[in-house]
Amino acid sequence: MRLFTGQRAWVVQRLSALLLLVLILLAMLALPFASPLDFSAWRALAGGALGGPLIALLFGALCAHAWVGMRDIVLDYLQPRGLRLAVLGLITVVLLGVLARVLLSLAMVALAA
Amino acid sequence: MDKPPHRLPVFLNLAQIRFPIGAIASIAHRVSGVLLFIALPVLAALLHASLRSEADFASVRGLLSSPLSLVVAGVLAWALAHHVLAGIRHLLMDVGIGSELERARASARLILVAAPALALLLLVWGLS
Amino acid sequence: MRLNIYRYDPERGDPPRMQAYDVQPEAGDKKLLDLLMRLRVQDDSLSFRRSCREGVCGSDAMNINGRNGLACLTALDGLKEPIVLRPLPGFPVIRDLVVDMTQFFAHYHSIRPWLINDEPLPERERLQTPTERERLDGLYECILCACCSAFCPSYWWNPDKFIGPSGLLQAYRFIADSRDTASAERLDFLDDVYRLYRCRTIMNCTEVCPKGLSPSHAIERIRLALLQRSS
Ligand code: HEM
Ligand code: SF4
Ligand code: SF4
Ligand code: FES
Repeated sequence: MRLFTGQRAWVVQRLSALLLLVLILLAMLALPFASPLDFSAWRALAGGALGGPLIALLFGALCAHAWVGMRDIVLDYLQPRGLRLAVLGLITVVLLGVLARVLLSLAMVALAA
Repeated sequence: MDKPPHRLPVFLNLAQIRFPIGAIASIAHRVSGVLLFIALPVLAALLHASLRSEADFASVRGLLSSPLSLVVAGVLAWALAHHVLAGIRHLLMDVGIGSELERARASARLILVAAPALALLLLVWGLS
Repeated sequence: MRLNIYRYDPERGDPPRMQAYDVQPEAGDKKLLDLLMRLRVQDDSLSFRRSCREGVCGSDAMNINGRNGLACLTALDGLKEPIVLRPLPGFPVIRDLVVDMTQFFAHYHSIRPWLINDEPLPERERLQTPTERERLDGLYECILCACCSAFCPSYWWNPDKFIGPSGLLQAYRFIADSRDTASAERLDFLDDVYRLYRCRTIMNCTEVCPKGLSPSHAIERIRLALLQRSS
């Protein structure tokens, strides 16, 4: 079961980790300035030209990173082929669901604005 | 050499193996990664709710007030802190920084101690 | 001294068990192997491998008080009693402390542990500058004892597909050799989710190498060489 090869997945995990690091630090630095964060300010941030894409990018990187990471764990501990495919499928569905939900929420706010 | 007659036994009792500090930091990195993965759907749901309506936004904000959610938040804060610190350690070691045994041991020890401290900091900061 | 040793007899077919021993070290007994040799006089059914008794042949690797090491290089001084001896973790046990190394050597073979060079043969030998020779330090000294691979969690989970620290150190030994011209093919072979990329940089391998080598460092260099090549 090859599943996304060696080096490519490794590089995706390192690059997404770097991106996550930067974005999480950015978020932690930015949030105190926005506080006290109320509903309308938060919507303006998430629907904004900068905030929206950044949140989308954050979750995109998160899902790519988590997929490779969880794949590695599955390849280590789950040996039977069927079980592997089932769990990998579940992980993929969960992550796609997360991504879809976040993108939908962001689109909803952006469209309302 | 003859083929072994049947399945040979294998010694692999993890409780009887003495793990170096680096292995402990590594398994904690894995556990924290899984915890964060489990938290992702919840995070997405919270994001969705917080953007949906004023009332949902308020209930998301008020979430941290119950003791149970505080424990969950504490565990997740540790997971994030440990995972990020161990991740930075990984990225540095990948390019050859601190990958000699002595320094790798020292940094493993450091992140194992620093992660709970950072988690506490995160929690206090999140509550304020 | 007190010892507690893993016993398994394939003829009897009973599950493995631990057996306690008491043995008196004599003057001049410095290493764990000295003690084991005395034990063997006491109980000639006890099986373990050994040959050189000085850390060169790599045959007496075992799990000593929870860590892998060579009995002939492990000082008796400072060993906690009872000294618990078990076979190398994750390896099929043939008898007592003797394990089946077939798969381990198959991985070694798979990395083609010999110099490959298609250029015409020189008059005498293929020369190397002292700097080129130095690049092999920390690599050529490996005695294939398997202490590292048998302490690597990634190897425990995928012993049939992950080459393991020992084989990867050897692979890098040939990639780093200026006289070898097959680096590109060697790297192609290693770029695989299983063969190379099961390693999680746990460094258990480097922790236990009785020759003081660092397979994790060799793996880091292979990954960087792959990265350099594709960028
Ligand atoms: C918050 C969401 C995150 C999730 C769900 C997540 C999940 C995971 C998982 C499941 C693994 C596999 C662990 C293993 O193989 O043992 C992993 C590995 C890794 N993570 Fe994360 N991670 C997250 C954030 C981060 C961040 C912010 C960094 C930044 C430094 C990071 C750096 C790494 C690195 C470097 C690895 C590779 C470790 C290895 O190859 O053994 N992660 N992550
Ligand atoms: S790298 Fe060290 S532990 Fe591993 S086989 Fe070689 S000598 Fe033994
Ligand atoms: S560094 Fe890699 S090869 Fe060495 S013990 Fe860890 S996972 Fe195994
Ligand atoms: S007996 Fe040869 S390495 Fe120990």
